[in-house]
Amino acid sequence: MGYYASVLTTATINLMAILSMYVLMGLTGIFSMGQAAFMCVGAYTAGMLAVRTSLPMVVVVVISVGMGMLSAFLVGLPVVKLRRDYIALITLGFGEAIVALLNNLSNVTGGANGINGIPRKMNIYLALGVLAVLIFLLLNFKNSKFGRHCIAIKNDELSAAAMGINVPRIKLLAFVLAGGITALSGCLMAYNTTFIEPMAYGSVKSIDWICFVFVGGVSSLTGTLVSGLIFNLLPEVLRVFSLYRIIVQGAIVLLIINFMPQGLFGEYELSDLVKKVAGLFKKKPAVAGGDKQ
Amino acid sequence: MNILEVTDLSINFGGVKAVQNVSMRAEKGSITSIIGPNGAGKTTFFNLVSGIYKPTSGKVMLDGEDITSLKQHEISHKGISRTFQNIRLFNQLSNLQNVQSALDARANYNVFEAVLGLPGKRKKDKENRERSRYFLDLVDLGDVAEERPNSLPYGKQRRLELARALASEPKLLMLDEPAAGLNPTEVEEFIELIRKIQGVFDLSILLIEHRLKVVHTLSNHIYVLNFGELLAEGNSEQIQANQEVIAAYMGEDED
Ligand SMILES: Nc1ncnc2c1ncn2[C@@H]1O[C@H](COP(=O)(O)OP(=O)(O)OP(=O)(O)O)[C@@H](O)[C@H]1O
Ligand SMILES: [Mg+2]
Repeated sequence: MGYYASVLTTATINLMAILSMYVLMGLTGIFSMGQAAFMCVGAYTAGMLAVRTSLPMVVVVVISVGMGMLSAFLVGLPVVKLRRDYIALITLGFGEAIVALLNNLSNVTGGANGINGIPRKMNIYLALGVLAVLIFLLLNFKNSKFGRHCIAIKNDELSAAAMGINVPRIKLLAFVLAGGITALSGCLMAYNTTFIEPMAYGSVKSIDWICFVFVGGVSSLTGTLVSGLIFNLLPEVLRVFSLYRIIVQGAIVLLIINFMPQGLFGEYELSDLVKKVAGLFKKKPAVAGGDKQ
Repeated sequence: MNILEVTDLSINFGGVKAVQNVSMRAEKGSITSIIGPNGAGKTTFFNLVSGIYKPTSGKVMLDGEDITSLKQHEISHKGISRTFQNIRLFNQLSNLQNVQSALDARANYNVFEAVLGLPGKRKKDKENRERSRYFLDLVDLGDVAEERPNSLPYGKQRRLELARALASEPKLLMLDEPAAGLNPTEVEEFIELIRKIQGVFDLSILLIEHRLKVVHTLSNHIYVLNFGELLAEGNSEQIQANQEVIAAYMGEDED
């Protein structure tokens, strides 16, 4: 696989994980500071199964996603009834705990050495294909009662409950969904890099993701995708300056939050634009010139 | 026949006895009002009935069923819907979707149908969108269906909240100062609107209101709260003639 293809594959897989942050923060308004731990769960499940069993990749992927959802369910259960600021703190704690656990169970997981020799089964086409399916499913989710429930909860929990929405249940659903997506990304990453090092999945990674979502526009799936892609490719572009990566990234985040508090995309979605453009062609040209709103 | 029966309801916040041994009944199909000076415990009473707070003691019965210990969303599904004194709409949903939120909470498709966009889900969503439009039209907001609540003037936001509360077709509708902040013309329109929806849905309404004009025009029965306790009850004439009530309102600004 060529250099660019390999960089893009990695970026695409990372993007999937960042999409999970969109579900939590963008849709539901939950801050998970330990989300990368579920990537770790997915990667380890996949790594161990791929090295020690002869299960086909599809089965491994399904099991990894299931493990991610299960662990998100277990973490989410006590968390969803808490206030938002506590949720951030507790997920941070849980995240670090999961990574530490995997790190220390050396006889099962390989400990700090991680796992080596996972067969490389990812390529750019497969990665893009999975991402496309994921985006399709997430857009459907957003445009369903569940997506609207999530946004209602983000806007006003009390009012959402008064409308008959079971708030803890929807939060748990968002949590489990996000856990599954993050684990999927971890699993595919294991098949991509062929080795796993547990230290890569700490809270620093989770906080990176939070920043990406903020820059793109918390409420826009498109924004999350674009900013995720930029920040994933940035280190490759700025390879020479790798030391300064974190500074450049921090500066961008600060600038955006100061000057564009809604993020690059605000609430706009590419799909809205497509609809609008399609609408323009249907109407008379005279209307097309006017900028509404 | 009573739609709501509250017996000896109390709650304390630290030392503050916000609601003390309040009992009241609301008859089916009628408008029952709660009035009282600022801080009398009216909103707190609503919060207890709708499940935001759990009472320290007392019982709430809706249509013969004990709902005292139920959660907020469960109480909504039992048939109580409400608006808020300080309007609480969903600002990132369109006005139509705000109304639809009540119907969404009652739509029965599951998460798999949702993410795959299956026909059952599409059909239900379409039905609910049309139904929501009906409620928007009812409060005369059909033309701003695709806009957001925070772009609406105050009076329209109040109407949107009313449409959202109506959409679940509750047995009991609780309105917390729905005419606050409205100008005199809007107040008249509001009174008309309440009459209209009562005609359409045969609703039972519990109304908190500071504007005595609204209260006396609409109410079948009135309860007066003062310092968390029930001070008086009766029909409009009885309340207007009650010396204790007049004394409690002394020094209060009528807006
Ligand atoms: N969550 C709370 N914690 C502490 N005290 C509270 C709480 N909610 C209400 N109170 C107190 O309970 C009392 C009654 O308040 P409430 O809001 O019910 O009054 P109200 O009759 O609705 O007044 P208004 O006409 O101003 O809306 C007040 O003294 C208030 O400060
Ligand atoms: Mg009040």
